Amino acid sequence: MSSARTRVLEDSQGSRAAFEDIRIGQSIGEMEWRITDDLIELQCQLDQDFDPVFIPQGDGSRIAPPQITYRPPRWLFSRAYNVRGLFVRWESETFRAIEPNTTIKVSGSIVEKFIKKDREFVVYESEGKDAGGNLIFRTRRTHVLDFLERSAPREGLGIDSGIKPEKI
Amino acid sequence: MNGAEFNSKDHVMSVINQSVVVGHKLPTISKKYRLEDFARGSEKTIHTDYEAAAKEGLPAPVAIGPQVAALTFRQMRLCFGMGWLVGGRHDLTFRKPVFVTDFCVARGVVTQTEREGNKLRVHCDVWIENQKKDKVIVGTASALIPVLDCGT
Repeated sequence: MSSARTRVLEDSQGSRAAFEDIRIGQSIGEMEWRITDDLIELQCQLDQDFDPVFIPQGDGSRIAPPQITYRPPRWLFSRAYNVRGLFVRWESETFRAIEPNTTIKVSGSIVEKFIKKDREFVVYESEGKDAGGNLIFRTRRTHVLDFLERSAPREGLGIDSGIKPEKI
Repeated sequence: MNGAEFNSKDHVMSVINQSVVVGHKLPTISKKYRLEDFARGSEKTIHTDYEAAAKEGLPAPVAIGPQVAALTFRQMRLCFGMGWLVGGRHDLTFRKPVFVTDFCVARGVVTQTEREGNKLRVHCDVWIENQKKDKVIVGTASALIPVLDCGT
């Protein structure tokens, strides 16, 4: 199967976001996200990492792998813009242990966009706080809008979309 | 960024302590991926479907970046225990696509240590290589370890 030489114009979720449409400073919104035992379990399965600290111990305590925070900011980005593309840079810091039955308020905004090597990049930042307002994590992500160069015309229908069910 | 705190899980095992020196190599973590590792139900995505990937100009389905970066996270967790899980930082660049059947190895080396309150922040260069030895993910990561004063 040969690879396309044109960038996807639209997919089942609508038109792909154009670089020109992305506004620096725009909020990507916020969401409340509940950490559950099931989510932690799933994250361990995905990463094939079953350290005892992630698995319930004698007193039932456990914490989540920090990278469980990857998806909610991506969901917010997708709510704001229909971007498939590829993830190219991931900065993050975890400030507190992520424990089950914690609700994290996740918010973020677009902070930068640039063109490099004939490709279009968008940078967004996001943070998560617990109900007490304590910072749990902070992240900065860079996403390239398309694998192909920006000089490739946009046309046709894609199969995948950046907008997906909001589940891990 | 600051304010990281340890909690009652300080007992979690780590293999690096305050005597670590610059140049110390982190233990490697490796995995041979399969397309099924990236499946989410029957959804056709650039991670699971050749046609969906081709539509985006990709030669084959690509791995989900964070699932590959997880090799580095596992390496850091192993080395630093709670000091990675609370207070850990990373800055990773996905330089080249990882394809869904690639073999990847996470490597790393300690580059610097600095005092941060009553802890030591250990900075590392980290990277992930594929089976061709291409560095597909490169960057830095750091974590905290407690400093124990021995007294005299």
